[in-house]
Amino acid sequence: MLFNSFHFLIFFPVVTTLYFLLPHRFRWGLLLAASCYFYMAFIPKYILILFITITVDYFAGIGLEATQGRKKKWILLASILANVGMLGFFKYFNFANENIAAFANFIDWNYPIENLSIILPIGLSFHTFQSLSYTIEVYRGHQKAERHYGYLALYVLFYPQLVAGPIERPQNILHQLHEEHRFEYQRVTDGLKWMAWGMFKKVVIADRMALFVNPIYDSPTGHDGPALVFATLAFAIQIYCDFSGYSDIAFGSAQVMGIKLMKNFQHPYFAKSISEFWRRWHISLSTWFRDYVYIPLGGNRAGARRVILNLLITFLLSGLWHGANWTFAIWGGLHGLFVALNHFIEPRWIRLRESGFAKRFSPALDALSLLSTVGLVCFAWIFFRASTLSDAFYITTHLFSGWTTFISQFFRLTQEGIRAGFWGFVSGLFASLNSITELTRSEIALSVIALIFLLYIEIKQHRGDFLARFNLKQPAIRHVSYSLLIVIILALGTLYTGVEQAFIYFQF
Amino acid sequence: MTEKNDFLKFLKSSIAVAALIALTIAAIFIATPPDEKHLYQASLLKSELLRTVTSPRIIIVGGSNVAFGIDSELMEQELGIPVINDGLHVALGIAPLNEIKHYLRPGDIVIISLEYYNFTDEASFYGQPQYLADWVEFSPERIWYLHEPYKQMPSIFTMMLERKVNRQLNYYLYGFSYEAGRNFYSGDLFNEHGDFIGHLGENSNKQFEIADSVYPINLIEDAYVFLEDFNQFALSNGATVFYEAQAHRQTNCERTGKKHLDRFFNRLKTKTTIPLLTNLDQLCLPDDYFYDTPYHLNAAGRRIRTERLIDSLKIALGLE
Repeated sequence: MLFNSFHFLIFFPVVTTLYFLLPHRFRWGLLLAASCYFYMAFIPKYILILFITITVDYFAGIGLEATQGRKKKWILLASILANVGMLGFFKYFNFANENIAAFANFIDWNYPIENLSIILPIGLSFHTFQSLSYTIEVYRGHQKAERHYGYLALYVLFYPQLVAGPIERPQNILHQLHEEHRFEYQRVTDGLKWMAWGMFKKVVIADRMALFVNPIYDSPTGHDGPALVFATLAFAIQIYCDFSGYSDIAFGSAQVMGIKLMKNFQHPYFAKSISEFWRRWHISLSTWFRDYVYIPLGGNRAGARRVILNLLITFLLSGLWHGANWTFAIWGGLHGLFVALNHFIEPRWIRLRESGFAKRFSPALDALSLLSTVGLVCFAWIFFRASTLSDAFYITTHLFSGWTTFISQFFRLTQEGIRAGFWGFVSGLFASLNSITELTRSEIALSVIALIFLLYIEIKQHRGDFLARFNLKQPAIRHVSYSLLIVIILALGTLYTGVEQAFIYFQF
Repeated sequence: MTEKNDFLKFLKSSIAVAALIALTIAAIFIATPPDEKHLYQASLLKSELLRTVTSPRIIIVGGSNVAFGIDSELMEQELGIPVINDGLHVALGIAPLNEIKHYLRPGDIVIISLEYYNFTDEASFYGQPQYLADWVEFSPERIWYLHEPYKQMPSIFTMMLERKVNRQLNYYLYGFSYEAGRNFYSGDLFNEHGDFIGHLGENSNKQFEIADSVYPINLIEDAYVFLEDFNQFALSNGATVFYEAQAHRQTNCERTGKKHLDRFFNRLKTKTTIPLLTNLDQLCLPDDYFYDTPYHLNAAGRRIRTERLIDSLKIALGLE
């Protein structure tokens, strides 16, 4: 079930109402049943995969707590193998097989194994990692083994974060699932506000950006630099609003029921370095890789070469976690490289910033840091979004083509427009934008207005607790604002395509 | 504050917000009427004809292949039976057929001529929501003619709201209605039978716009079930149903492969009991007979197709 579907519009209030009506002892059952229903709206039989791993982890957790020494390690290994094996089979078998077949073809070996005709279970990478967190944390002694099978199942299946995270840790969630949560006006309404804001980001901005991005990225070879750059910037906005929008809806819908999920995004495009970007982007995944891969590999306690290697391994794995495709591996590798470079440059940069001379140019240097970070992130997004490696290479090698024509056309059209007055100028602007996108003026104008609104709210949120301050305003102002936000979601969301637009991260 | 008080406060706020939302949406709906220049403006004329033309009558239904490609006046002269051209747009799928069901009377002759494209997937067959939203906007009771009215209702009205806002904004940005900017695709260029006549004077000067595309070859099976149900419904109401193939452009026929097109009609013959009026050897027409898409005939093509249809009908109805 998608959050941006009418199905969910019915599902959510029904489940929430029942949740508050039922006595506490029955609520886990309701949430578990609702979560199963939520998941089974995609491909029902795949729920069995989840229950297999949940069962393995349930017994593994109890076993881990009851044993010590070598046997404990074997139990952990068995649990990891069961979880990773499931992920490997569904997500990476065909990828590995294709690569072996390509290599076999290269050396003229008649490779007999065909690809499997399987569909990747939705959100498999997310719930696998969440399950792994449980057994690893029990192994490390940070979490007690869950003796109630239903609660452990709910920890993995909890519908708000089941298919696209945040990837939670048992220490944060399990005890909250056990606790009784009353209906509290402020908490419930704040949760609904997060949901509405997430929905705005998804249907008004992300899906609107897709109108610019998809035609160009689906067939990049017919396009020049301006269109490719424009589409890449639009994709950077799209993926942020799509994924953080999902996370906001997940956060809000859990908060309504009294469960506080971790925040997955903290305004990543305001980051002034790549390392900072990763402290703000998909926080639950980056901390997962930090805690369970990077630090066990040695983290940054070893020598420079080892640190670089650890970073590259961690980010390559993170890339492959996103998708079984070389484009994702390159995306991860690029980020590994950027973070490794940043690891060595940042201390020098900070020292430079602290010098008296640089302090005078602090705002300009901040802007430079921010823009260069966004630039690097956007460059890497090309590999993330491109369907194939050849598309990605075409885009990266054509980013600087066609600008002369575009700029001269832009000046010609706007100058012609200026002579005709303000609306002529606006018309000229639209005409030059139309040379790289075939969208109507209203689609372009609505995108610009929506982006300005997004930026305004993001800045407000970045500067402090926007929601808490907004809650202090007069009820009439708040009610009108909420109503307008919902009308905007309904009226300006790109629902007219007739196809509910799935969240990008559902595919992972 | 107790849980009960919290809940009452929440209920009060929710009602206030819901009322404000309803008021805003109502204001948008009232302030933004359907676009007079929209091609679907003609759907009102077609509904009116279905309501008022006396039976027996011939109703030809399909997408724009019918609107552009049939000369109803000529048919009426030759056959002596009133003719209603109920073709409008491929994207409406079978929704107009459901509307016809509502107006069907004994003695009526329905000629179905859906586009091949309608049979390629469910959205194309049952209608594309954004276009259905425009169609319903002109006449809200049409919501009941959709494939799954209750299920589609929320999305159709949401789309309608969005399209109204976009339309109004486009009006400000272009200085005129966006639909008016689509030149001859206008709702006021239909004659009194429901034939589109805006392209007749321009004599095929847009042929360069036609893509030599290949038709998809995977077809949905539900379509045949629906057509047979429609046929049985018509028969039980004393009406007769025929199927007539859209005119196919020669280059597109060749690129797709005639065997795929024949396969479609063979399926139609075996899966339904609807008589086929088209001679399959004459399925494809030379490229010169098309106007701006592989579905839209020009004046000469329209004449040829209509004459062939008249001949077939005379035989089928025993008028010769």
